[in-house]
Amino acid sequence: MVVLRAGLCPGLTEDMIQLLRANGIRTVVDFVSSDLEDVAQKCSLSYKALVAVRRVLLAQFSAFPANGADLYEELKSSTAILPTGSPSLDQLLDSGLYTGEVTELMGAPGSGKTQVSLGIAASVSLGLKQHVLFLDSTGGFTASRLYQMLQAQTEDEEEQARQVLGRLRLSFVLQLEALQRIQVVRVFNIYELLSALQELRDRLSQQVVSSTGPLKMVLLDSVSAVIYPLLGGRQSEGLALMMQLSRELKMLAREFSLAVVVTNQVTRDSSTGPLKPALGRSWSFVPSTRVLLESKEGSTQRAASLAKSPRQPTGMQVELDIG
Amino acid sequence: MQREVGTLPLAPALRARLAAAGFQTAQELLDTGPCGLSKEIGISREEALEALQVVRQECHGDAARPAGGSGATRKYTALELLEEEQSQGFIITFCSALDNILGGGVQLTKITEICGAPGVGKTQLCMQLAVDVQIPECFGGVAGEAVFIDTEGSFMVDRVVDIAAACVQHCHLIAEAQQEEDHQKALETFSLENILSHIYYFRCRDYTELLAQVYLLPEFLSEHSKVRLVVIDGIAFPFRHDFEDLSLRTRLLNGLAQQLIIIANDHRAAVVLTNQMTTRIGQSQSTLVPALGESWGHAATVRLILHWDNSQRLATLYKSPSQKESTIAYHITSRGFRDVQPPAVTHSTEGTELNPRKRPRAEEEKQ
Repeated sequence: MVVLRAGLCPGLTEDMIQLLRANGIRTVVDFVSSDLEDVAQKCSLSYKALVAVRRVLLAQFSAFPANGADLYEELKSSTAILPTGSPSLDQLLDSGLYTGEVTELMGAPGSGKTQVSLGIAASVSLGLKQHVLFLDSTGGFTASRLYQMLQAQTEDEEEQARQVLGRLRLSFVLQLEALQRIQVVRVFNIYELLSALQELRDRLSQQVVSSTGPLKMVLLDSVSAVIYPLLGGRQSEGLALMMQLSRELKMLAREFSLAVVVTNQVTRDSSTGPLKPALGRSWSFVPSTRVLLESKEGSTQRAASLAKSPRQPTGMQVELDIG
Repeated sequence: MQREVGTLPLAPALRARLAAAGFQTAQELLDTGPCGLSKEIGISREEALEALQVVRQECHGDAARPAGGSGATRKYTALELLEEEQSQGFIITFCSALDNILGGGVQLTKITEICGAPGVGKTQLCMQLAVDVQIPECFGGVAGEAVFIDTEGSFMVDRVVDIAAACVQHCHLIAEAQQEEDHQKALETFSLENILSHIYYFRCRDYTELLAQVYLLPEFLSEHSKVRLVVIDGIAFPFRHDFEDLSLRTRLLNGLAQQLIIIANDHRAAVVLTNQMTTRIGQSQSTLVPALGESWGHAATVRLILHWDNSQRLATLYKSPSQKESTIAYHITSRGFRDVQPPAVTHSTEGTELNPRKRPRAEEEKQ
C-alpha cells in the first residue's frame, strides 16, 4: 500500500499526484489496477505519460515469478548445513541446522535450552570458524560456561594430536579467536530486539567487512521473554509485533542464508494440563523445525524430541548430554 | 534505514492510521515532516511532532550504534564478556557449601530466585545477603549497598543487627590474623551503624505499589550508584490473592521480570527474589512446586529451592546457566546463615526434637 508521492519514479510530478488524488487514486495499487484511458480522460493527463509511469511502478513494486528448477539450483548452492557439535542432535535435525530456516528449541525451566544454544554457538564458532550473533533477552548468557564448552571441544580435537607441545598454546589462541567471533547483544524488550535485527540487516546488506566477518548464525535466547509481556488481555498489538518479529527473522534467514535458532518456553493450559509450547498457534507456524527438551531427574542427560520438522518424522527422540 | 512503521514504538491507534494512509517505512515519515503528517492522517501538529521525534530517536539510535555506541547499547564479543565476568565479584552467603554450588556466591547482573516452604529460611538468607553485600573488597566482598523491598512485612531489624554484628566480628578476626593495612582501614568504615544505614528499605503493600516501586528503581539506583543488591522479599505474595484475571497476572509478572533484568544489567546489581510454594495435584500424588505458574519459572536465571528433610534444611540448585544441579545442607544460627557443622561438634540439639520448624533459641552461640 505505497502512497503515490512525487519523485517515486521519474515522470510522476506533484501536479499529476494532486490530479490523481482528486479522482480517488492514492496508492500504487490503485494506479496500476485502474483503466488508464479512463484516468487520462478524467484527469486530462497524457496517456503515454501514464503508461510510462505504470511500467516503472510495476518494475519497482511487483514480484516476479521464478522457475522451480532455478529456485532449486539456487537453494543447492546457497544453503549450508551447520553441525551443532552434538552428534545426537545432528541426527535429530537431519545432519545439522539448515541455513535459510528458523529452528526452535523449547523446554521447561532448567531443561537446558541456554546450554544447548551455547553449545551450538561454541561449535559453529570453533569448528566452522564462522561468526555468530547471540541475542540474549534473559540475561542467561554466561561467558565462562561458553569458555568451558570451548575448552571441552578443543580437547576432543586434541585427542588426535597430543604429542606436539606447541598445540597447547595453539588451542588457547583458537579458543580466544572463537570467543571473538561470537558477538553478544543484550536486548530486553521487543523494540530493542527489532532495532538490533534492523541494524543487522543494514550491516549485511551493505556488506561492511568489519570485525564481524561472515555471519552464519543468529541465536535468540529467548523469544518468549520479549513477547510475553505484550500478549494477552484484549490487546492485539502483541500479536502484530510478534508477527513483525517473525517476518524479520525469516527474511534475515532467507535473504542472507543464515541459520536462525530461537528458544521458547513451555506453558500449561491449567495446573494439571500437559505442557505445550508458549506463544500460541500463530507462532507455531513460524519455525520450520521444533525440538522439545525435557530433563530427567537428577542427571545431566536431556531428552530431545522432534515436534515439527519438514524432513524427519516427528516423534524422533535422542539423548543429549549437557554436562 | 528502512525501518518498518510497524516496528516503531508508537501508540497502536497512531500506527493503525499510518498504515491506512499508506506509510511503510520510517524514512517516508521523516520525509513528510510534521505538517504534512498531520494533514495526511488527521492528527494535531503537536502529536505529529511527538511521533516524529520518537521515530528520529529510533532511527538515529540505529545509526549511532555501529559507530561505537553509547551506554545504552549492549553489544559485546564473548571475549569481552568473559573478561568482565572473571573480574566480577560474588556476594557470599557465609555458608561455604552454598557458595560452592552457586559457583562462588550470588552473581551480580543476574536474577536469583529463592523458593521454599514457610519457615525454611528465605527471609533469613535475604537479610544475610543484604549484610554480606557490604563486606569490603579486601575481605572478598563487593563493597556495595542493598535495597530491600518488603511485601510481607517479615523484615526484622533486630535480626539484621545480630547478623551484622556477627559479620563484623568475623572480619575483625580475619584482620587480626592477617594484619594488613587495608584491612584495618576498611574496618573503620565497616561498623554496625554503617551497615544498617546502607540498607535501603521499602515497604509495598500490594502489587500496584510493587510495580510502581520497581518502575522508580532505576532512578533511585542512578542516584545511589553503589547499590549492588536488590532484594524483593515476597514477590509471590501480592500476586497470589485477589487476582481474577490470570492472563493479566502473567503479563504483569513477565513485564516485571524484564524490568528487573534491565536493572540488574545496567546497574551491575544482583537481584534476589523470594517465591512461595504451591501444591500441584497430579494423577496419583501431589508435589510442591514454586508458585506463580510455569511462565514465571523462566524469569529467574538462577533458581534455588530450599526444603526440609526431616529436621535438616536443604538447598537445591534447580536452574543455573553455569553450574550443575546439586543439593547441600545448611543451618540457621543466631549469627545467621551458616554451614552445617560436622556431627561430632554439635551437643546442644535437645531443642530441635521438640519442634523441627522452630529455630532453637539460645544454646547455639559458641560452637
